[in-house]
Amino acid sequence: MGYVLTKAGFAEVIASLLEEYRIFAPVRKVGAGRFTDVDAVIYDEIRSADEIELEAKSDYASKEFLTPLSETLFYFTENEVKESDFDGRPVLVFGRSCDLHSLKRLDQIYLENGLAKDPFYKRRRDLIKCVLIGCGHSYDNCFCVSMDSNKCEDGYVFSVDLIDGKIHSNILDESFDKAFSAVSGSEKKDVIPRFVTENDVKVEIPEEVPQGIIKSELWDEYTTRCINCGRCNFVCPTCTCYTMQDVFYSDNGRVGERRRVGASCMVDGYTDVAGGGQYRRKNGERMRFKVLHKISDFKKRFGYQMCVGCGRCDDICPEYISFSNIINKVNAASKEVKS
Amino acid sequence: MANLDINVGKLKKNAFRYSKVRGETASRIRIPGGVIDAKSMGRVVEIAEKYGTGVINITNRQGIEIPGISLRDVDKVNAEVQEIIDSLRINQPEKGKGYPSSGTRNVIACPGARLCPFGCYDTTAFAQKMENNIYPNDRHVKIAFTGCSNDCAKVRMADFGIIGMTEPQYDKDRCVACGACVNYCKRRSVGALELVNGKVVRDTAKCIGCGVCVAYCPTRAWTRSREHYFRLVLLGRTGKKNPRLAEDFIKWADEESILKMVKNTYAYIEEYIDPDAVEHKEHIGYIVDRTGFEEFKKWLFEGVELGPKAEVNQRIYWGGKNYDKYGG
Amino acid sequence: MTNMNPYVPFASEILDVIKHTGKEYTFRMAFKGEVKPGQFFEVSIPKFGEAPISVSGIGDGFVDLTIRKVGRVTNEVFEKYKGQNLLLRGPYGNGFDVDLYKDSEVVVVAGGTGVSPVRGVIQALSEMPDAQDKYVIAGFRSPDDMLFRDDLKAWDEKLKLTLTVDGAPEGYTGNIGLVTKYIEGLPLRDPANAKAVVVGPPPMMKFTIIELQKKGFKDSNITVSHERKMCCGLGKCGHCRVNDTYICLDGPVFNYEFAKNFVD
Repeated sequence: MGYVLTKAGFAEVIASLLEEYRIFAPVRKVGAGRFTDVDAVIYDEIRSADEIELEAKSDYASKEFLTPLSETLFYFTENEVKESDFDGRPVLVFGRSCDLHSLKRLDQIYLENGLAKDPFYKRRRDLIKCVLIGCGHSYDNCFCVSMDSNKCEDGYVFSVDLIDGKIHSNILDESFDKAFSAVSGSEKKDVIPRFVTENDVKVEIPEEVPQGIIKSELWDEYTTRCINCGRCNFVCPTCTCYTMQDVFYSDNGRVGERRRVGASCMVDGYTDVAGGGQYRRKNGERMRFKVLHKISDFKKRFGYQMCVGCGRCDDICPEYISFSNIINKVNAASKEVKS
Repeated sequence: MANLDINVGKLKKNAFRYSKVRGETASRIRIPGGVIDAKSMGRVVEIAEKYGTGVINITNRQGIEIPGISLRDVDKVNAEVQEIIDSLRINQPEKGKGYPSSGTRNVIACPGARLCPFGCYDTTAFAQKMENNIYPNDRHVKIAFTGCSNDCAKVRMADFGIIGMTEPQYDKDRCVACGACVNYCKRRSVGALELVNGKVVRDTAKCIGCGVCVAYCPTRAWTRSREHYFRLVLLGRTGKKNPRLAEDFIKWADEESILKMVKNTYAYIEEYIDPDAVEHKEHIGYIVDRTGFEEFKKWLFEGVELGPKAEVNQRIYWGGKNYDKYGG
Repeated sequence: MTNMNPYVPFASEILDVIKHTGKEYTFRMAFKGEVKPGQFFEVSIPKFGEAPISVSGIGDGFVDLTIRKVGRVTNEVFEKYKGQNLLLRGPYGNGFDVDLYKDSEVVVVAGGTGVSPVRGVIQALSEMPDAQDKYVIAGFRSPDDMLFRDDLKAWDEKLKLTLTVDGAPEGYTGNIGLVTKYIEGLPLRDPANAKAVVVGPPPMMKFTIIELQKKGFKDSNITVSHERKMCCGLGKCGHCRVNDTYICLDGPVFNYEFAKNFVD
């Protein structure tokens, strides 16, 4: 069951949902791009429907509500440790099929890897419901079809497709029906969210990446091409690594906080151990470590591929390094390694 | 070449060069902002082939000179450059007569934000706006725009140098302390950033608004300010007496104020130019040397309301060589 | 809720501080609960951070944490004294299974602070009836860097200890040389079935294993313990991952047959 409604009608839906939910969605930030007068599409909490960017693929992924780039976990006073406060209102997170598929990967690490569930993740995870943004077409660098994350049958409460100025929504969670039916002029209709069935970019991943690939020369060029900025990790919907950060306030050293911030396996310091030890000094080694995690190591541990094929890493790389192209290089090299 | 009777003053004013080759001239094409459409460029080629020697001279100030033109063909060339003048939207009181003045030099600009990753504003657009603001004018004024503090356009050699700035905006909640901005600010710029307690602190006095932090930030913790800001540098010059680099006048200036101050300068020149100046031409700098900077500043600021962020250098001391005083 | 949060450390009293060198102390921490040698705790100093520290000793109601003063957190730990509390999380990781080393020839090769995680193992070996079949090669950078001097003396009487330093001032009468130097000459009866434990800095481990292999050790009889950056100890932060293995969850102690495939 679904609805077709005008943008104004959709704005009413969002306005009524905002009474109950906080809504996080891709927002076009004018001029916030890397270069002058270039926009960036970044997740943010919205106050009205017109803030939601439904057309462009977001530069940064939907994970930012669940795993903020910087989040205070504890406050410390002299002898007390206090968990940070938390807004417990329910949350709607907009995302495309790739984003929805990434949730399983985030859950895998934060809730399923090891015995402990990460409570700071869980308290956010428990609040969210997803809204699917349909994909009318494949975007630059997308290879979701190859990664089998181009479609989702469930995992969202309703979908949103902007087609010729009208919003088409499929309602999966009936509790959201009333927000749509209450809008005057909304047309009840069967709606199927749009999914991409073919991408320009295709990758092939060997069923099992041979161990020998580690020694392949294919990684070497990235030692000089990659600038280890970590953008590929920060935009990735499936990257979960973080670093703990303890601070004391400069005007009163007896008070401070512990926070965690997003970490990148490409950036210096990721492997540093006490006393100066360091692993993977070369950027080519870091590239290998990252790529093999996405298309092999994660799968070995959890049984399915980590990468969802959103292509954001390719979109953002300032050095024009194509992750999908590396996958295909790995595929080709794997055949050689085997033979 | 008998019977040539040319008013050289008018010829020069009409943007034709006085050539060392008797009977010849060169047509000077203004290209404000250094951007010319391909069709106009084609026109330049045609003129060079038809009236010149098939050679095109790219000038130091982003203009074009077509040399080897017979002084007898000046009117014909003027008719032919009309399309270029129209296409580049050069102010012109009378069509078909070529350029109305050449004293105020071509307004130059680096590629700026249309192309360059470091450009903090659309240098071409500002240069064209400036051109429309002040051209035609016989007074010898040089204006140059550059997109960022790298100053690829070498604006410190001009009377008015406009250097693009952005005021970095920091969203600490997006900062993961990767250190890229601190590192690159130190290596590519002035080292105005420091990591304190896992977040970045910007030394606002040191920051030159180059935008390197924004360019290298992987998380959009650093972004550019909505407003485009400028550093206005004054009265640099080349030449025989006292060549010198322009000095900083206003940091975090705005576009409108700059347009007004440059406009105001022409009134100041009219008031104070040496009436006996050779060819009625005198660099503003030498006029300012005579009247004192305070007087110039008074004229500059006429009707100007600077923005709240603007930092004005009230006193400026120029350096450079003083060949006229101490010899060389 | 708070006590369910695995990131919340618990307070533990410092029962004693044993100073080995100027920058290496053992903190004897009050602890009741199951813990094995080779496991580690996150020592948590609010406002300074957390550091993974391996268990260097276990006793009735306490664990020993031998800490090297090398950074922000450990500097702060060194300011603490007996009677005060430290905040801890853990124990994390798998630890050594000491029973594996009964009734066979065993060689423990440990370098520097790598001695800490195997101290409990060595202690257990020294108490075994066939302690004379247990060999320990312990290497330190210099005589001043030696840890557990009292233990070393006691072990020397029970099992076969080779103590060596990488370098020493003139006049030093003990062994000088890398630990790898002493493997070839070990008087083992049956190297193919002997067991080895190797812990130390990565290059030391690498070359020690090469020597053990030369000597005839099987990879599957070698146990190693890895040090990686461990921020959380819970398999979340990702820093310690190698291949598909999380050192903090699956290790830090591994059979070399498995660990030889690790590529950083």
